[in-house]
Amino acid sequence: MSAQKKRNFKIEAFKHRVELDPNYAERTWRVLEHAIHEIYNHNASGLSFEELYRNAYNMVLHKYGEKLYSGLVNTMTGHLKEIARSIEAAQGGFFLEELNVKWGDHNKALQMIRDILMYMDRTFVPSNHKTPVHELGLNLWRDNIIHSSKIQTRLLDMLLDLIHRERTGEVINRGLMRNITKMLMDLGSSVYQEDFEKPFLGVSASFYSVESQQLIECCDCGEYLRKAERRLNEEIERVSHYLDVKSEVKITSVVEGEMIANHMQRLVHMENSGLVSMLVDDKYEDLSRMYNLFRRVPDGLSTIKDVMTSHLRETGKQLVSDPEKLKDPVDFVQHLLDEKDKYDKIIRKAFNNDKTFQNALNSSFEYFINLNNRSPEFISLYVDDKLRKGLKGVSEEDVEVVLDKVMMLFRYLQEKDVFEKYYKQHLAKRLLSGKSVSDDTERSMIVKLKTECGYQFTSKLEGMFTDMKTSIDTMQGFYSSQYSEIGDGPTLAVQVLTTGSWPTQPSAPCNLPAEILVICEKFRTFYLGTHTGRRLTWQTNMGTADIKATFGKGQKHELNVSTYQMCILMLYNSTDQLTYREIEQATEIPPSDLKRCLQSLACVKGKNVLRKEPMSKDIAEDDAFYFNDKFMSKFFKVKIGTVAAQKESEPEKQETRQRVEEDRKPQIEAAIVRIMKSRRVLDHNTIVTEVTSQLQSRFLPNPVIIKKRIESLIEREFLERDKADRKLYRYLA
Amino acid sequence: MHKLGRGHRDKVQQFMAITGSSEKAAVQALKASDWHLEGAFDIFYSQPHIRTVTDSRHLEELYNRYKDPYVDMILVDGITLLCNDLQVDPQDIVMLVVSWHMKAATMCEFSRQEFIGGLQYLGIDTIEKFRDKLSYMRSELKDEQKFREIYNFAFGWAKEKGQKSLALDTAIGMWQLLFAERHWPLVDHWCQFLQVRHNKAISRDTWSQLLEFAKTVDLQLSNYDEEGAWPYLIDEFVEYLTENGIVQRPQN
Repeated sequence: MSAQKKRNFKIEAFKHRVELDPNYAERTWRVLEHAIHEIYNHNASGLSFEELYRNAYNMVLHKYGEKLYSGLVNTMTGHLKEIARSIEAAQGGFFLEELNVKWGDHNKALQMIRDILMYMDRTFVPSNHKTPVHELGLNLWRDNIIHSSKIQTRLLDMLLDLIHRERTGEVINRGLMRNITKMLMDLGSSVYQEDFEKPFLGVSASFYSVESQQLIECCDCGEYLRKAERRLNEEIERVSHYLDVKSEVKITSVVEGEMIANHMQRLVHMENSGLVSMLVDDKYEDLSRMYNLFRRVPDGLSTIKDVMTSHLRETGKQLVSDPEKLKDPVDFVQHLLDEKDKYDKIIRKAFNNDKTFQNALNSSFEYFINLNNRSPEFISLYVDDKLRKGLKGVSEEDVEVVLDKVMMLFRYLQEKDVFEKYYKQHLAKRLLSGKSVSDDTERSMIVKLKTECGYQFTSKLEGMFTDMKTSIDTMQGFYSSQYSEIGDGPTLAVQVLTTGSWPTQPSAPCNLPAEILVICEKFRTFYLGTHTGRRLTWQTNMGTADIKATFGKGQKHELNVSTYQMCILMLYNSTDQLTYREIEQATEIPPSDLKRCLQSLACVKGKNVLRKEPMSKDIAEDDAFYFNDKFMSKFFKVKIGTVAAQKESEPEKQETRQRVEEDRKPQIEAAIVRIMKSRRVLDHNTIVTEVTSQLQSRFLPNPVIIKKRIESLIEREFLERDKADRKLYRYLA
Repeated sequence: MHKLGRGHRDKVQQFMAITGSSEKAAVQALKASDWHLEGAFDIFYSQPHIRTVTDSRHLEELYNRYKDPYVDMILVDGITLLCNDLQVDPQDIVMLVVSWHMKAATMCEFSRQEFIGGLQYLGIDTIEKFRDKLSYMRSELKDEQKFREIYNFAFGWAKEKGQKSLALDTAIGMWQLLFAERHWPLVDHWCQFLQVRHNKAISRDTWSQLLEFAKTVDLQLSNYDEEGAWPYLIDEFVEYLTENGIVQRPQN
């Protein structure tokens, strides 16, 4: 092969301009113009894409882009005007259809045109800051069709009319609607908003305003809410079918505003059907609906909450001040528990477990439970009733549930120390009379109290249990030591109570019968033998006795009586008749107790082992009491006079309250000293605030009492007033 | 004294050396004269309670005249005699002022130390001088500061030895006496209120705070502040006055 001769190829541009025929541009444009016409006339099939593209390309290339572009604009505009006329001419319902069809056509045409003019779109348009073809097409459509004076209003009116019809129950062509609104959206969000959405919202507002006015006059609350909910759902559905998704929140807020927010107060307060009656009748569905609707509007939920709170406080207040309801403490507490259950259920089922509602419930309960200062006592009595007999046969879990519910009420109490005092008293009675249903349940309750209030609250209570256990062991020890010596004498069961742990009862000793004294002394010797340095005092006002009695016709009964009553009855071993005075002298039982004992022995049907003359219920000094030979009872064992814990009489209540007040004084003082020790100098109001917050888990201290305690501490030189500012106090080390 | 600057301290010492006065008097006089010694001397010597040297023999004589035969103290009889000599009623409030000067521990008795020491301080060694001083002592009650001191002194002085509080009757008597000097229109209501509602002894704090109350709170109680940390008795007094319509408190 011979080496090829190197050829120098150079490609150069034309050195001379190729002059285009000036008519060339015009001619080329005409071709394109014609094509556009054909496209709009649905005659595009006869066109050659390649040729048209090339023509457009050449025009741009030869710097005739401007002509092409403006030609396009004019041509399109011309067509669009024609289209506008045909749409305007459409009658009635065909208007929208025509519009829709033409829009579809226009889009197709636009696409083809854009394809043909693609080169211009990519080069001439950006560099000359012109609107791209597609967008241009949309804008022209907008300006010539949508904003044409004959079309604009008519279009809007039609759309709104259709929507109105649908709202009043007619079926409309949703597909068509969707296309139209989509068209508006495609034309730009401002078109959609200005030409449709805004007026739509305005009209909707009037519509719903009118409708809500009508409904509120004729519907009750539940019905109204159902209808409002339905409308709301309708609108949401409407949006999903043929409106822009962004319209949803706007239209729903219109409905919410007109139907709910504007009538909120009236709905809630509607007589016989409003919130209050829904609460009273446990209308969960209605309440739930109200909750869900109202949460959509500002202040909706707080309105519900406020009405619920004031209703609850009102009913609660009535409950705690109604003397009928207060007659039976157990019943009273049961009512409270039922009320709490009711509202818990409402909040759970209808109010979505909303925490703010739960808090409102708690604060309301706290408010009215503390309106009655006997609440602590009554709650303790309720627990007493349950632990004494109410829970027999109920399963352990149920027991826990009941006690937990009671603890909820306990938490609401402001005067927890009063509760403690009563609980102690009632517990003591239960333990000593052996009436407690189960040791486990008692303990369970103590644990709950301890968790709530701390160790200090329950340490004494636990001491009581310990004493009971220890006493059993002591008795065993006693009897094994007395083995041979007891014989026929009375059997003794002693509970040794540690003074600090048990509620203090001032006890005046009475004269025990001789038979009893012997064994009592034996026990005392035994006990003190193993526990030197202790002192034993018989609590004759707290014991019980079982006595065997034989009556006139030989009928025997076993009587279960209190110690006092035993002392009285034993006197009748030597005589058949005694006056009150004689009994008093012989037994030395305190008069008020003695009278009560005699009343239960002589004045109660079925238990009258004594006969009283005169037969009156009151006891006078000269009354005579006879052994009732004719006593009859179907039971062999007769129980007389052991009293279950009752609510206190007025004087007893005063006494307990006084004791509580006395107990509070040192607690307040201790708090003051603690605070002043660490802060050194404080003003009066701050001390009061601090003390209150320190003690609030037990009780609410009265500021006047705090002041008095401060003054007492000043006198005892724990504190002094500051010399410069008399409102400040100083701690004296 | 250590609060004064060096120059001032020197002047105080000089002053004390020349006049024989107490440090307190020296400072007082110098302050009043803007720390000019000459001016201070003028002030000091123009003051009525100039400390003259007292004759200790005379004082002994005086003391012995009034002292109880069995106890080394001046007791009731002695005081009665003293008052006689002074031509003054024993119930006269000036005797309280006297006791205050003497720093007497309890009313109706003076110890030797109290009597002699007090008279020395007052520059008295004869009954005549004593009598002359009485009008001055009465005038001391008009001084705000001194009145307060005397008032507060009266509590400890009037109460029983060994007691913390002042018996109500005695307190009422003292208040009547004291508030005759420094007029407080509500004093009778106060005493009545106590007898009706309180009927117990009066604590020191209540005693001293009452004066503050009388001084600061106006008769319509319009500037009485419930949060003002007044003793609770005073709070109750205000309630009492309002309840019984004695005072119409402006409602705010």
